[in-house]
Amino acid sequence: MIPIIDRRLLQNVDWTLLVAALGVIGLSATTLATLNVGRTGGGIVARQLLWVAVSALALVLVASLDYRRLVRLGPALYVAGLAGLALVFAFGRSVSGARRWIVLGPVSVQPSELFKLCFLLMVIWLLVARWAQPATLGVLLVLAPIIAVPFVLIVKQPDLGTALLLCPLLVALLVGAGVRLRLLAWMSAAGVAALPLAWVALKEYQRERIMVYLDPVRDPLGSAYNVIQAKIAIGSGQLLGKGVAGATQSRLAFLPERHTDFIFAVFAETWGFVGCLVLLACYALMLLRGFDIAATAREPVGRLVALGATCLLASQILINVGMVTGLLPVVGIPLPFMSYGGSSMLVSMMTLGLMLSVRMRQFQ
Amino acid sequence: MRRGAAPGPARPGLLHRRDSGKQRVMAIAAVCLGAFLVIIGQLWYLQVLEGGHFLDASDKNRIRIRPIAAPRGILFDRHGVPLVDNRPAFTLSLIPREMPREPERREAVLGRVAALLRIPFEELAESIAKVSADSFQPVRVRRGLTLEDTAKIEEWKIELPGVIVEVEPQRTYPSSRFAAHLLGYVREANDEQLKQGRYRRGDMVGQSGLERLLDEFLRGRDGGERIEVDALGRPVRLVQQSEPHPGAEVVTTVDRRIQEAAEAAMQGRAGAVVAMDPRSGDILAIVSTPAFEIDRFTGTIDRAAWLRVVQDPDRPLLNRAIQSQYAPGSIFKIVVTAAGLQEGTLAPMDRIECTGEFRLGAWSFKDWKAGGHGPVDLHRALADSCNIYYYQAGLRIGGAAITKYARAFGLGEATGIDLAGEKAGLIPRAKARRGREAWPAGEVVNMSIGQGQLLVTPLQVARFMAAVANGGVLWKPRLVQRIERPGQGVVWSDPGKVVGHVQLAPIVWAFLRQSLTAVVNDGTGVGARIPGLEIAGKTGTAQMIAHSRADKGQDHAWFAAFAPAHDPEVVVVVLVERGGKGGQVAAPIARKILNAIFFEKVASVVELPG
Repeated sequence: MIPIIDRRLLQNVDWTLLVAALGVIGLSATTLATLNVGRTGGGIVARQLLWVAVSALALVLVASLDYRRLVRLGPALYVAGLAGLALVFAFGRSVSGARRWIVLGPVSVQPSELFKLCFLLMVIWLLVARWAQPATLGVLLVLAPIIAVPFVLIVKQPDLGTALLLCPLLVALLVGAGVRLRLLAWMSAAGVAALPLAWVALKEYQRERIMVYLDPVRDPLGSAYNVIQAKIAIGSGQLLGKGVAGATQSRLAFLPERHTDFIFAVFAETWGFVGCLVLLACYALMLLRGFDIAATAREPVGRLVALGATCLLASQILINVGMVTGLLPVVGIPLPFMSYGGSSMLVSMMTLGLMLSVRMRQFQ
Repeated sequence: MRRGAAPGPARPGLLHRRDSGKQRVMAIAAVCLGAFLVIIGQLWYLQVLEGGHFLDASDKNRIRIRPIAAPRGILFDRHGVPLVDNRPAFTLSLIPREMPREPERREAVLGRVAALLRIPFEELAESIAKVSADSFQPVRVRRGLTLEDTAKIEEWKIELPGVIVEVEPQRTYPSSRFAAHLLGYVREANDEQLKQGRYRRGDMVGQSGLERLLDEFLRGRDGGERIEVDALGRPVRLVQQSEPHPGAEVVTTVDRRIQEAAEAAMQGRAGAVVAMDPRSGDILAIVSTPAFEIDRFTGTIDRAAWLRVVQDPDRPLLNRAIQSQYAPGSIFKIVVTAAGLQEGTLAPMDRIECTGEFRLGAWSFKDWKAGGHGPVDLHRALADSCNIYYYQAGLRIGGAAITKYARAFGLGEATGIDLAGEKAGLIPRAKARRGREAWPAGEVVNMSIGQGQLLVTPLQVARFMAAVANGGVLWKPRLVQRIERPGQGVVWSDPGKVVGHVQLAPIVWAFLRQSLTAVVNDGTGVGARIPGLEIAGKTGTAQMIAHSRADKGQDHAWFAAFAPAHDPEVVVVVLVERGGKGGQVAAPIARKILNAIFFEKVASVVELPG
């Protein structure tokens, strides 16, 4: 029970993974430093680095714990996470029409961010439970309410992006847990059939975003503004980028959310296609290490934890970059390790912590 | 379920074959890598293939063009005194692109502006509805804002995104109605002018008078600033600036002092004054009253005020000096005299006994003076404007000769002055009777005293009088001497143009001059007499044909004069609509003007009792 990191564990730390993450954090800091956001100006870099430090401690803590113990705590964490989501409705702070934050002293926390990890552990706990073997349709039906309740709570904040993020995560875990592919196919078909229902449930602005994704010139100054400005920013970066001084789209604040969800566009404008390749290479390296940990895991729990953690990061990265480059509709998802924001950084680091935890105990 | 998910070795059922789990992880990894490749492909497309296109778009995004209005060229009088000038004025403009996009919020901003400045909301909404909501070009909504209004807008600035106050040069005039018809007003290009494609919305365009005639020269070229702005439209840096090129300077023939004196003399009267230099055809002053308020027409005039002017029964927009046609009245007797003397059908010593009545068949024609003038010769007949004499003389001379000389003096045709809308007047033609040209006697009798079908404009009379003064030279009236562009010198000039000569024997010219001098010295025009100045002139009273039962107050009063009589420097023609008798109404006005021309420039004390 006592989290002691013994020498043997330290020998198996995946340094490549950590270096790749640090690389991204470095790129993030230099990008944030060029943006004059808010009254504090460059102050957001200092804040962000403070969060990096705090998150690094969390990473060490998570990595030092045995992931099996964490999975066993899954149900408890899940209930705590649900409570956090409920609290948002009671005491949450509204920012531009969405209640996503709870103010705790000097910082505001996004429970939906933290909930992603709770959800991950809970689903793994279920999938590896003795009674759930083999994972048949009945088991999946038991899973349904466990997914549905937080999904609805998060959508209602509204935070469609985070809610949708739970879907690829779930699919990846089911695939990794050995659920028969035919069953998965049926489930996917059912999900697609339910899409019209979802359309009715969406908020007006969310529908508009999807329409804009399908037809960007629909409303160039309204909903499509972000998409068009982001595309202009990225495209105008060309092969080698405009450099810090020349990045007018970002510097002159044409890009909305440029330090958070749209930071990739800023980076792309400043450093061009070559810069983007470097950044994406860092991410790809990180994810490949994650998949490697999952593939070489000694036993199923470790495999699922590593796979889930990797897929959580992967889907955030792909959805964010996909949306900023105009491949996907705009949903509010931060780019892990790049976007400004404490909760996101904390959760991303803890996700890395889970991956490390599996790796370090692989050769025990 | 009892122990939860206890960690342990692989159990049957879950990932029974270790390899299968590994394969599935690999499959997911492959899907991820595929997604990465798609993203890289999209980046390649955006940044490398379409990069140049997006670079343009980002430049357009950040660069905003603000026009700097070029000051309109100045119009000067013949002595270099400005007739019109520019002063900085505040203009309320809306920049559609910077205004809120949602209709409700946009309307809220417009509503606030309307309330602050007391402008009808519809006017604002209408002017901004005409342009794209995406446009960076400022839409000029209202010109000539007061300092107070400007302060109000600045005060509410934060609440009024996209609403700015620009400083633009605007026309300013010596007085509210100064030379209104001559100069003309300047207004924003109307829809019709915009269709021609030469103007942009919001351009100030001369709409009448010299401003319209010379618009191309006066307009100048607007400059502009390319400003880099941030997403909120706040200027960050000046990228490029092109200076505005002011419009050309125009030197007119007008003498501002004479123009002002003539306007002052016509105060309260409806009519026209033309002052001309008989030696060059230069227009020294051209006045039409009542005039419109030119300073209110330039800039923003509200609908009600506009309609008030347009529908005014006194028709202040009409330039009576060139656009109104009147019977010349007794002024025409000069033409009849010239025709008779030159053709030999009339001699100075021809005498009649004026009884105050002339009978022609069943008709009876009366003299203006009850009881008649008694015995008169040609000289006295002209000086006293005896109608009975001219009835008889006219019949002897004949309609053909009279109209021939009238045409030679330029009556009945446009003078060709550079102002739009000039009327030609009318000299009647002979009636075709049994294949031959014939003049009905009654018509000739009427024509002999300048009545009947005859119609002339005050400008035609001035040119005709100038020809009498200068011995027969008929000038094209000149308004503009030259146009100079700053830095380029003279780009256009008018050396003056003679369009005709009236051939009369020198003795006939001398006789006319002598008799017309007598008109002012001891004839019908004594009201114009100024001691110390020899003035030649002729009175006229044009009866209103349309109102046969009209009382005397309905007649138009004429007075045409030149001075000094023996070396004429200036012609002054005065017409007062419904003024009454020319000698009593028009002559004193001409006297005031002549007095200003010849004496007030030296000393303003030569106001001697007449």
